[in-house]
Amino acid sequence: MATQSIAFHDRVDRALDNRSLQTALGRATDRFVTNRANALALVDDFDDLRARGRAIRASALAQLDDVLVRLSERIEARGGQVFWAADGNAARRYIVDLARTRAVRTIVKSKSMASEEIHLNDALEAAAFTVVETDLGEYIIQLAGETPSHIIAPCIHKTREEISTLFQDHLGMPATDDIPTMTRTARGALRQQFLQADMGISGVNFGVADAGAVVVVENEGNARLTTTAPRIHVAVMGIERVCERLEDLGVLLQLLARSATGQKLSVYTSILSGPRRADEPDGPDEFHLILLDNGRSQIIGGDYAEALLCIRCGACLNACPVYQSIGGHAYGGVYSGPIGAILTPLLQPELRDVHKLPQASSLCGACQSACPVKIAIPDMLLRLRADAVAAGRTDAIERIAMAGWSQAMRSPTLYRVGGKLASLGTRLLAREGRIGWLPPPLDQWTHQRDFPPFAPRSFTELWAERQRRAAGDGR
Amino acid sequence: MSDAREAMLGRIRQGLARNREFLAHEALAAPHAPPPFVHPEHDADLADLFATELRKLAAHAHLCADHDAARATLRDILGAAGVHLALTWALPALAFPGLDDDLAAIGVERRDVAIAPTAAERAAELRALEPAAACISGVDALIAESATIVVLGGAGRPRLASLLAPLYIAIARRDQVVRGLGQAIAQLQQRAAPDLFAERSSLTFITGPSRTADIEMTLALGVHGPRDVHVIIYG
Ligand code: SF4
Repeated sequence: MATQSIAFHDRVDRALDNRSLQTALGRATDRFVTNRANALALVDDFDDLRARGRAIRASALAQLDDVLVRLSERIEARGGQVFWAADGNAARRYIVDLARTRAVRTIVKSKSMASEEIHLNDALEAAAFTVVETDLGEYIIQLAGETPSHIIAPCIHKTREEISTLFQDHLGMPATDDIPTMTRTARGALRQQFLQADMGISGVNFGVADAGAVVVVENEGNARLTTTAPRIHVAVMGIERVCERLEDLGVLLQLLARSATGQKLSVYTSILSGPRRADEPDGPDEFHLILLDNGRSQIIGGDYAEALLCIRCGACLNACPVYQSIGGHAYGGVYSGPIGAILTPLLQPELRDVHKLPQASSLCGACQSACPVKIAIPDMLLRLRADAVAAGRTDAIERIAMAGWSQAMRSPTLYRVGGKLASLGTRLLAREGRIGWLPPPLDQWTHQRDFPPFAPRSFTELWAERQRRAAGDGR
Repeated sequence: MSDAREAMLGRIRQGLARNREFLAHEALAAPHAPPPFVHPEHDADLADLFATELRKLAAHAHLCADHDAARATLRDILGAAGVHLALTWALPALAFPGLDDDLAAIGVERRDVAIAPTAAERAAELRALEPAAACISGVDALIAESATIVVLGGAGRPRLASLLAPLYIAIARRDQVVRGLGQAIAQLQQRAAPDLFAERSSLTFITGPSRTADIEMTLALGVHGPRDVHVIIYG
């Protein structure tokens, strides 16, 4: 389903009309938020940990050139290969060529946002390789022919009945909606793929420069199998996902697990440094690290460099009232939620309507307070909106309205009259204190959200009265 | 290829020319050192704390007075699960005397892992290992406050021996328990200085049974990795 080709407002509409999506999102984000809060409450000083995490990430980014050189040299010294991919095209070509020259047939994948970002699966499938997503949620999404809707829980939008039908159709599972049975069915099917796969492709949570290692964090064990069973391991890493030292993980892993799922640590953290050594009994014989730029080197010199501190925990999604209502697909890109509204226009500018994503926020600030590296998300969203206006990427109606506003602001009389009319008009339309419908073209607003009626008396009037009363009090 | 590298580094340097100051300033805003542990310290015995935390994850902790008690516990776990084939670390790496005899006595075949590099041999070997009902490893540390098992790779230490089978048993000595992650990392680096990865390609942290909540946020255990995790602590 090519969500990207549908206009942003229609994607939002669809999401808001989808009752089961709303229920699933509500349930899931509530659970994430509660688990996170419980986990944080146990920590002595979580804010101190956040401050350290932010400093560690900022430090690695401040020396990104040097850090990447160190990381790549260490990995090469251990017998690994490093490919510097300027964009998705270069990365896809390298991996497809590698699979061809190594006579690969089956490829298993563990979750990787970076490879979603560059549509790696499409390229591999076009080259006739069998590609199997092995994270349970990603596998379900792949069987359904969809795209993930949440960083941590990719199939958050699907019900157990839908998943059961998929497994019956694709895996020959007898009819049941028992979750353990469904999980076992998927395990059995995927095990066979792991045993025969020639290549495993994983994402990377952190590259550790001085250790010459990449870190892969997960709960299921599919990433461990992906990076252990096949003879070739390819790790795809966005160039910003780095830290300098192994000790840094003592901060970053704790922040990531607690913020993402409320766990103290995720079930499996694999720290992998090149191919297996000569006397190691298992592990891949080849190790390839793809350093993916794809626009990141532009971001680091721009106004939104701070967004690169992100450790992809998903806490800002769960905290966001807009995400809770519309889900990940409505954002259209790989990265959804508040951080996605910033990253998608920067990393996937070719997508339709990306400049509208920063509008999908109430600027309530919940994302920034949840963020383990304290990214100033609302501030950046505001600036992105201003950029879109400056670049003329706004709707005609918005431009006319803003021109009117600007006129009114310059003329006190016009402003007062306009305010009076709006106050009267909105009170006439309000039902139980909310307005669910405004006349065109203002219905663009009320189509997806209520509008509060204007206060019966303006601030100017109240202020004038207050001044009068103060004067009347004498003295 | 080195062209691509130089071009990317050039772009990064150009970007940093503008923002390096901001990032460097943020980098100085707080210390970087990891805290040795993150929960408030209370004086519970570390092995007890580990056991309490592990049980919260629906895994099993066995605190044994000595080596003999640990052997008996291991036999009980394998017997109760009806295990016939077990993958383990190589015996010298495990350093748990009596294991071979105990397994033989209860009819469990022990397998070392040795994956050959060619595609066909690799697949055949994996197929031969897959039916194993249990895997057994030693540990390099246990982290008490998160109930985490720390295992380094290396000679005689297959990664699959903590991964492939539905039942996983880790054997540890009491003096291997530390309180927090920060401490564990510092200790590992000290022990394997100057280069932790000189002779191994992996360091793995394992915290409880394999799990997923991908279907309707309902917890299911053992999706790809072991469902039943037992940690035997002795000494
Ligand atoms: S922006 Fe912050 S909260 Fe959101 S995913 Fe990134 S690190 Fe997590």
